[in-house]
Order: sequence, then C-alpha cells, then structure tokens
Amino acid sequence: MKQRQTGILLTSVASFAMLASAAAADTPIRIGVPVGLSGANSVVAPSVVQSTELAIEQINAAGGVLGRPLELVVADDGSGAAGAQRAFDTLIFQRQVDALISMQTSAARNAGLPILSRGNVPYIYTSFYEGRSCHPNMFVNAWVPEQQVPPLVDHFNATYDAQSYFLIGSDYSFGRGMLEFTRAYIEEQGGTVVGEDYLPMDGTDWAPIISNLRGSEADAIITSTAGGAPNVTLTRQLRDAGIDLPYGNLAVDEGTAASMGSVAEGIYISASYVTGIDSDTNREFLAAMEAHFGDELRTPNDLSVPQFEAVLAYAAAAEQAGTTDTAAVIDALAEVTVEGPRGSISMSHQRHAPLTMYLGQVTADGGVEVITAFDAVDPGDQCPDL
Amino acid sequence: MGNLILDILTTAAILFITSAGLLIIFGVMKIINFAHAAFITVGGFAALVAHQIGLPPLLAPIFALIVGGVLGAIAEAVIVRRLYERPLDAILATWGLGLIMTQLITASFGRGVQFLPPPISGTVSVLGAEYSLYRIVLVGVAILIALAFTALMTRTRLGLSTRAVIMNESLAQGLGINSARVRLITFGVGCGLAAAAGALITPLTSLDPAMGLPFLIGAFMLVMVSGGSLPALALACLVLGGLQAIVSTYVGSVLGGLTIAVCAAVALRIRPEGFARV
Repeated sequence: MKQRQTGILLTSVASFAMLASAAAADTPIRIGVPVGLSGANSVVAPSVVQSTELAIEQINAAGGVLGRPLELVVADDGSGAAGAQRAFDTLIFQRQVDALISMQTSAARNAGLPILSRGNVPYIYTSFYEGRSCHPNMFVNAWVPEQQVPPLVDHFNATYDAQSYFLIGSDYSFGRGMLEFTRAYIEEQGGTVVGEDYLPMDGTDWAPIISNLRGSEADAIITSTAGGAPNVTLTRQLRDAGIDLPYGNLAVDEGTAASMGSVAEGIYISASYVTGIDSDTNREFLAAMEAHFGDELRTPNDLSVPQFEAVLAYAAAAEQAGTTDTAAVIDALAEVTVEGPRGSISMSHQRHAPLTMYLGQVTADGGVEVITAFDAVDPGDQCPDL
Repeated sequence: MGNLILDILTTAAILFITSAGLLIIFGVMKIINFAHAAFITVGGFAALVAHQIGLPPLLAPIFALIVGGVLGAIAEAVIVRRLYERPLDAILATWGLGLIMTQLITASFGRGVQFLPPPISGTVSVLGAEYSLYRIVLVGVAILIALAFTALMTRTRLGLSTRAVIMNESLAQGLGINSARVRLITFGVGCGLAAAAGALITPLTSLDPAMGLPFLIGAFMLVMVSGGSLPALALACLVLGGLQAIVSTYVGSVLGGLTIAVCAAVALRIRPEGFARV
C-alpha cells in the first residue's frame, strides 16, 4: 500500500515536471522592475519604465529569449527601504520573476539585497550610485564616483587652473559619498578643499553656506545634492548671490537643467549618457522611443538608458547561458557585451562597467553641450571579492 | 561679519514671512492649521499661474494672497468651522486637507520641479558685502507684513472685533459681535498670508508640490514659542533664526537645521510662555 502511494506520487511529480517543461517553451521570462513610482524617484521613474518597455518589445519582436517572450512586471518601491522590501518580496516570491532590473535609490537597493539573497535571482542595478555595493547576484551598469568625478576636476584644473575647491551637498549617503570621493581625488591631484558643508534633505536656506563660500576664496565649486528640489534651490540661491565660479554639479541631469532654464547656464555636468551622443545606435534608440511613445515620451536620460541596456544585457546573457538558471546567467552577465545608446557596455569589471563619460556644459537655452568625451573610464576596484 | 548680519536678518525675515499666516490663525482660533504647508505651495503655484497669464511679477504675491484667502475661507466654512470644540480633530482635519490639496496640485501640475523666472536678480553692496538683492527686499516685505497686520488689528473695526473674540469669545458674542464671521475672515487671512509667502519665496526655492513642507516645522515651533503674539513672533524669528545662521556658519549646516526645533523646545521647557509677554 505504502509503495503504491509513493508510486502514484512519483508519477504525478514526473508528469507535473513534464507539464512544466512543455510549458516552458512558451511561458514568458518575467523581468521584475522595482522602481520608485512614488516618492523621490517618481519624477524619473516613468522614463525608466518606458525604456524597459521598449527594450522588451524590441527583444520580443526579434523572437524573444531562448524562444520565450519577455514579460515586464513593475512594482512600486516607494523610493525607499520599506517599499523596496515589499516590492522585492512581491516580485521574487509571488510573481516569480526570473530577473530583477532596476533603477532605485541606494536605500531601496540596500533594503532589497537580503531578499535577493533568499530569492536567488540575478539583479542588474541601473542607477549611478556612490559605489562599493557588492552582492553575488548583483551587476551594475551605471557610473560610480571613480568615473564621474575625475573628468570634472581634471577639466577645472586644466581650464581654470583651479587649486582650491568648495564642496556643497545634501546630507545623505549619496551626497556625502560623492563628495568624500571628490575630496580625496582633489587632494590626490594636489588641490585643496577649502570648505565642505551639507544641508539636511529638507533644508531650504543655503545662505550661511554661500556666505562661507564667499569668504573662502575658492576657485571652483562642486555640489552633490539630492535631485530635484534641493538641487534647484541651491543653484538658484548661488546665482541669486552672484556666485559665478566654475560650478560642477554631480546631481543635475539634462531634464533638470532644461527645467531650470537660464539659472543653470554654465553648470558643468559629467554623465555617461546625454541625448546628443553622436552615434547611429543612439539616434535609432531616440527615434524608436519617439515612435513608440509619441506625446507621452519622457526624455531618455542617464537613468533610463542604462535600464534599456540592462534588459539587452540580460537577454544576451540568458541566450549565452542557454538557460534562465541563476548561476549560469550570472556567469554569462560578466562576459556579454551589448551595443547600446551609450556605446559598448560590458559589466566585466568586478560586476561594474567601464564607461565613456561625457563632460558637458549647460547652455543658455537649457541644453547640454558636450565639451569632451573620456573613453572607457575605469570604475576602479568596486568589489574585489567578486 | 557683514555677511553674517545680513544672513541673520534675511533668515529671520523669511521665517517671519512663512510663519505669520500660521500665527494669525493660532492667535485667534487656538488651532494649528496643518494645511499651512499646502497653502504655501498653493501660493507658489499661484505665482506660476500669474506668470503664465501674464501678470507682472510684482502682483504675483497679491494674486497668491487672494487665491489662498478664498480657498482658506472655503476650507473654514466647509471643514474647520465644525471642529472648534475639538482642537485635536482640527489638527487631523487640516493635515488631511493639506494632503488632499498637495495631491490635487500634483495631479494638475505634475510631480516635477517647475521653473519661474526670478522677478529681481543680482546683488547689492551692503555693510561691505555683496549680497543677494532679493533677500534684502524680503526684509522690507516682512516689515511691511508686520505693519499691515498691526494696523489691521488696531485701526479697524474688524481688528477690534477680532481682539474682542480673542479676549473673551462669549462676551464678544453677547455684545453682538459675529464671531463666526471673525473666524472665517481670520482663517482666510491666515491662509492668504501663507500663500503670499509661497509666492514670495519661489525665487529662492524650488517650485514643486512639496515645496511648503520644509517650512511647516519651523513655523510651528516659532508660533508655539510666540504664543500667538505677532511682536513675539518677530522676536522669536530674529533670535532663533539668528542662532540658526550663526550655528550654520561656524559649526555646520546640519546642526544649523536643528537649531530652531531644539532651541524652541528648550525655551518652552524653561519658560512655558516662550517669547510672549516679553
């Protein structure tokens, strides 16, 4: 009796497994995208979702991955830790996604990592960040301070002979992390930091910092605020106080610069993507976005384009591995190279990617003029243990 | 040194402008209007609309005052009026009202940062320092608001009725003063002032649906230590705002940001009446 029961059980398990593998041929591969649809990232999140949609659509039109279509599953992480835990939980355990690909705040990413360990799926992080976040399942295809800061400081040294710098930031991990690296790099290059101050995230009055800046006789300013309001507030008050030093802003992007209009004129930015990149791939990408989204199009930016390329990278890795199995995909992710709007991207360097960085300056009409491109800037030692 | 004195004066002026509306409502009605932040935001967006329909920048704060005043009066008649006997519920109701207003603004203007060209730009040389002209103008505006409000309270019939309601509401009612009307107007004026403040600070801050929020805590603390008196508020802004500027300059802006809340709490512990009756 007992034997027979086991027999039935085995047969049913076997037939279930057969059913599952038969279904696998056309069941979609699910791509989970936890992203800040509400909260601080809500301004940029729609552009990230759009570029994910385009990537998935293009891949599916070309026959999918391993003969299976890709399916997008978006979850709101609320731009913060608590929301990210819920979003990772839902995507990994309820929606059973095969991979996570997303632009998130550092707080959201850090909160999601322990859940990633339990769920064991590959994860591509597509937001620039303060660096040195390492997890066996995580890859990063956006810039870290080692890639963003040197072009700015080198340019200020060469063009303005800037020896002394004043650093201003928002008081949070990205703001402080970026400026900590900036200070070290400036000192390494023989310059000095004559002042460094931070305002809380919800602070609005930069006057005392600006007064200290005025008294410091710095040659140049580098700022790293939270995106959006703090960045606009600081820039307006600097301009209002008549400060016209060379001004490098680590947190401004093309969209924000355009919305600030004449106030942003002359600001230097350093990014891995600007819409003006002169390549066929970029032009084709912009045209495809325009054709697909029309009036609804959110301008592609340094957060949405890495997201687009990350979907391509996952597809390439799964094809190379011949499976969606996590360990095999992770091995392949370190090897594949994708051609995207930013050029050839390969996450081969300790889970991070060498990137071409563009030094740009905001023009009077809010556009960004590229001054120099720095090819294949190395991310440095981010995760020596991986 | 010149810079520090100007920082102190202009910081105090901005604090005064952004908390006067809250103080007026608290002074007369003894409730805290937690929709204050949303009314500041309304004022910022009213300035944006004023710019879009082509009003001169000088009229933007006045336009905001009217928009905020009308919305405030409506809110009083529909919601706040029912809650005078329940001050705790009034806090919840006005907080909820603020959330709804913020979401309505988000729905109509989007979450992103809007841009409004500054009405005045450039710097002037004062006390041996190059300083933002607009911030110095705000000191004048703060004084103007204080004078206008004092005149309203001491030189008009409405002011007389209002002071009567503040001193003893039932007696005032017995004398035939329509206290419901006084409350309606007070709430409207307070919200209007908050909106005017929003329009006045947009050249220095970002214009987005959350722009009013950072000013709420500071305004709340300052109103608490002022006990509803306008001269006390002016003094509190000067002392606490000045301390904030000094700490930010010599210690760091992160601690500077805590100064007002910490000093207000300490002041209330030592002297429960705060800066009132000094």
